Amino acid sequence: MRTLFSAVLAVLKAAGVDALMRRLINLLSASVVLAIGAGTAQAHPHVWVTAASELIFAADGSITGVRHAWIFDDMFSTYALQGIATRKKGVYSREELAPLAQTNMESLKEFAFFTFARVDNKKQKFADPIDYYLEYKDAALVLHFTLPFKVPIRAKQLALEIFDPSYFVDFSLQKKDPIHLVGAPANCTLAVQRPSDGTTIAQKLNEDTFLNGANANFGAMFANKISVDCP
Amino acid sequence: MTTSRQIALSCLMIAAICLAADGALHDALAQNPFGGSRAAPDAQVGGIVGWLLTKQSEFYRQMSSTIRAAKADGSAVWTLLAISFAYGIFHAAGPGHGKTVISSYLVANEETARRGIALSFVSALMQSLIAVLIVGIGAWLLNVTASTMCGAERVIEIASYALIAAFGIRLVWTKGGGFIRALRSSYGRSGPRLAPVLANAAALHSGHDHHSHDHDGPGHHHHDHASAHATVVHAHGPGHAHPHDHHHDHDHDHVHDEHCGHSHGPEPAQLAGPGGWRRGLSAVFTVGIRPCSGAILVLVFALAQGLFWAGIAATFVMGLGTAITVAAIAVLAVSAKGLARRMTASREGSGALLMRGIEFGAAGLVLLFGVGLLFGYVAAERVTCF
Repeated sequence: MRTLFSAVLAVLKAAGVDALMRRLINLLSASVVLAIGAGTAQAHPHVWVTAASELIFAADGSITGVRHAWIFDDMFSTYALQGIATRKKGVYSREELAPLAQTNMESLKEFAFFTFARVDNKKQKFADPIDYYLEYKDAALVLHFTLPFKVPIRAKQLALEIFDPSYFVDFSLQKKDPIHLVGAPANCTLAVQRPSDGTTIAQKLNEDTFLNGANANFGAMFANKISVDCP
Repeated sequence: MTTSRQIALSCLMIAAICLAADGALHDALAQNPFGGSRAAPDAQVGGIVGWLLTKQSEFYRQMSSTIRAAKADGSAVWTLLAISFAYGIFHAAGPGHGKTVISSYLVANEETARRGIALSFVSALMQSLIAVLIVGIGAWLLNVTASTMCGAERVIEIASYALIAAFGIRLVWTKGGGFIRALRSSYGRSGPRLAPVLANAAALHSGHDHHSHDHDGPGHHHHDHASAHATVVHAHGPGHAHPHDHHHDHDHDHVHDEHCGHSHGPEPAQLAGPGGWRRGLSAVFTVGIRPCSGAILVLVFALAQGLFWAGIAATFVMGLGTAITVAAIAVLAVSAKGLARRMTASREGSGALLMRGIEFGAAGLVLLFGVGLLFGYVAAERVTCF
């Protein structure tokens, strides 16, 4: 693009286009770029999720999967419950919510469950979710599900991110103890970086630990970055 | 006006469009969760975008608590309306809401700022109405589930993207004609085979070109054409008969350059004439058919709280706020074009060409945007159903 632009500039100079014209053209191209920029400006969230997650370790020290508990915000919870029949008004049993949980799992697959795992900068694949259900607690829907890794992770370090690249859903980790290591070997350490405060909770790791590729998109700015080290 | 400048100008227009498309594509690619690595984006979070996002989120999150409060205390509805209005203003600065489509439509056509404001308000009103209809029929009347409603939203969304693309095709078709006519009348109508050769000749001998304005001086004419003819001979390598022919063509060409630059492109008065409103309505429909997902969530929430009417009021006030922002951007676009027209007013041939070029570019933008949305290259505020 740059070469084409300078070529055009050279043609311009050769043709002797005067200053007024050039200024006008600058103005126009700037406004076109601005219009496009505004058009593709990013979304803002309509759904808020407070997440608490667990990393599940097998007896041999490998990580087998991620277990999520996502609490939806007030408004979205109400919206999601629209039209769901209950025996008692305002009380939703796990069975009554089962069809919705099923829909959630099917739909979230399209978005890779907003959960991205990497080992040595390589994306790790998850199998289909298991043990999923919804509960209605304190006027909020809570979605529970487990994502098993296709192949258990045996690497020394795992980087996990929870976010929506398009930022329709805002994920924030639960304030207290958002991540648990379940059955982890004693030497494993955990680092959590939240999007807003820009500081790591466990200061063990620096920015380089996180894969640069993960910054590839807008939503990533709001990503929750988790890193597990088992040296 | 010299031909060389016109070439340079059209090159630049194309470059500007390419640049813009390039930028759009980069933005689009950035949406891909598995896209390649890019520069650290933290710098963007601050600044205007970050501030807008924060403000919107604040207003939006206040809505649910305000609706809950309104159940006990009716006066909270006023707070709700104030928040909705503010949210609408901020929200429209983000994606969706037809800023790009409406602004581009206005620029592509010879529309006034006044009509831009009217179109913005009517399309925002339609957006609000559609949202109320979806929730009113879906949730209130039929009591369908959220996923059914969301499915309907998605169908509407895709239809609206297809409409934008179709609208873009129509604009490109009509504006392309004007642009090509403007190009022809600038470069001469000596036939498609000769036009590039003549253009080439003029570019190479730009030093002589300024003489071509002097129509009445036969001496000048001769001088000018002699040099042009030399190039033509090089390009074609024909016998003796040719130079005379070209001389004739060239002369003819200049007459057209001076007098036909205007009449060949559509006149502003022609475009803004009767039937303009019907054309504007297609822009309104294209934009307005797609409701804002935020409004739907607010409506369903209000309905669940037994305050559907408050939700409806909030939706329309939100639409009012949206309309103000979209109208402001539309007026900006129209004024920018007006400025461009004034700056080029003294240059008849190239001025007309530049204006047609801008219009064609704006038409192309609508098409590009529609296709991008349809195929997911441009992520607007997508409806997420889960």
